[in-house]
Amino acid sequence: MFEVGVKIAVSLTQISIVMGVVLLTVMFLTLAERKVIGWMQDRMGPMEVGPYGILQPIADGLKLFFKEDIIPSGANKYLFTLAPIIALVAALVGFAVIPFGPNMRVDVFGVQVQPFVISDINIGILYILAFTSIGAYGIILGGWASNSKYSLLGGLRAAAQLISYELNVGLAIVGVLLLAGSLSLVKITEDQCCWIWNWFWLAVPRGGGVPIPQILAFVVFVISAVAETNRLPFDLPEAESELVAGFFTEYSGMRFAFFFLAEYANMILVSCIAAALFLGGWNAPAPFLQFHGSLEHLAWLSGIMWFAVKVYFFLFLFFWIRATLPRLRYDQLMRFGWKVMLPIALGNIVVTAIAAYFFPR
Amino acid sequence: MTFGEWVKTITFYEILVGMKSTLKHLINYKPVTLQYPHEKRTLPDNYRGMLALLRYDDDTEKCVGCDLCAAACPSRVIKVISSEVPGEPTKRFAKEYSMDMTRCLFCGLCVEACPVDALAMTREYEWAVYDKRELLLNKQQLLAIGDRSFQVREKRLELQHPNVAFFNVSFKELPQKPS
Repeated sequence: MFEVGVKIAVSLTQISIVMGVVLLTVMFLTLAERKVIGWMQDRMGPMEVGPYGILQPIADGLKLFFKEDIIPSGANKYLFTLAPIIALVAALVGFAVIPFGPNMRVDVFGVQVQPFVISDINIGILYILAFTSIGAYGIILGGWASNSKYSLLGGLRAAAQLISYELNVGLAIVGVLLLAGSLSLVKITEDQCCWIWNWFWLAVPRGGGVPIPQILAFVVFVISAVAETNRLPFDLPEAESELVAGFFTEYSGMRFAFFFLAEYANMILVSCIAAALFLGGWNAPAPFLQFHGSLEHLAWLSGIMWFAVKVYFFLFLFFWIRATLPRLRYDQLMRFGWKVMLPIALGNIVVTAIAAYFFPR
Repeated sequence: MTFGEWVKTITFYEILVGMKSTLKHLINYKPVTLQYPHEKRTLPDNYRGMLALLRYDDDTEKCVGCDLCAAACPSRVIKVISSEVPGEPTKRFAKEYSMDMTRCLFCGLCVEACPVDALAMTREYEWAVYDKRELLLNKQQLLAIGDRSFQVREKRLELQHPNVAFFNVSFKELPQKPS
């Protein structure tokens, strides 16, 4: 009984810390995105609220709190309310299996706990895929329940897009799963230990041997992840020049904020997955780049730091791509997903499977 | 498709070129933005801003109520009701003078038409209002705009040169001409 109590207490602490960090990161991202894209396009970004506009996220949050909550006439009230909740919960729930730091066990009142992962379940990546698919329901239902043609079109586009690109995400990570021999993100990350070429994008086995690089799968995963989070250049569900705001055209106030949070939480989530699967998660590029020797007991700190660096690299990539590329046309999106990404991902699985059979790690 | 084009396609060469360009702009960050309410552009010398009525240096109005500005105006902005100075039948002035600035297109034809240079264009342009009735300006408002925009005023017309004053010829008490 005592053990269960301690475990629950530790889990709740971890959950609150992760939620806090994720929501703070979302706040930071909203500002960083506008600033980075502004700078890339020779603009300044927000400059009015606070010095250099750094208080803009707070102003935006307050604004969203106090905005009128409008439900359009003819909307399905139940689904209209449910959709943003589904989207946000599905986006946040994925963080439960992300390993943020080294896989170590700490003794809390005689109970062994893993401090840097909320729940190390052995089907971690499958769990994330399942819940991001549920997140698509939030978008589709939100588009349908709004009783607006723009929302409906946005929702339909989201449905088609998420199905096609979720497939590519799922197939792209199969190669990594074959190499790691596990679905647990903790185990996958541990398998990439030590040097930068041991990470699964190059996938040189630790003791030396035949590398089975997953760089194609990595590229497919990153592109599909951009599409799955509805970010430019794949933001057709919310294409503002065509569909006003797509599936959340009719949403305002906190409901809109939920969709907004869900989008950014999804961005962070896929960045975490990409970092954990292909770029070694909390592993440093080289053993000497983390705390060692007399600072050995602080190695976990450098692990978290490296994880954050990788995640922020991907988040920056999201902004960078958004600042550079225009939106795809719908047929281009579908052709790219089914005729380019899917064959590459399938071919990668075949090659990886054969190679992994002949050169077992 | 040649081999080179094919290689460029599969390596996303063009996209990478674009991303290099955006990154270059991020590193050499030189914004073209002007933080408008805090810093303003320098206006060109012949800037045509808000219209204003002018006065002479002894605070008398320049306008003689001739209606030529209203005649010149292509959008019927100006409305003049002229009247004669009591006791001086040949001297006229604008009893009422109103401008509907919602219609004004700032062409400056009224300023060119004015024979006594009573109209002028100022360099004011921040005239956004919540109620567009506030843009219906009467004579007092137009004179106030002129007062705050043109501190240096002309001498009375008839004091400038004996032959200039072809409009206000008959004064009951002609002011003393400077020798």
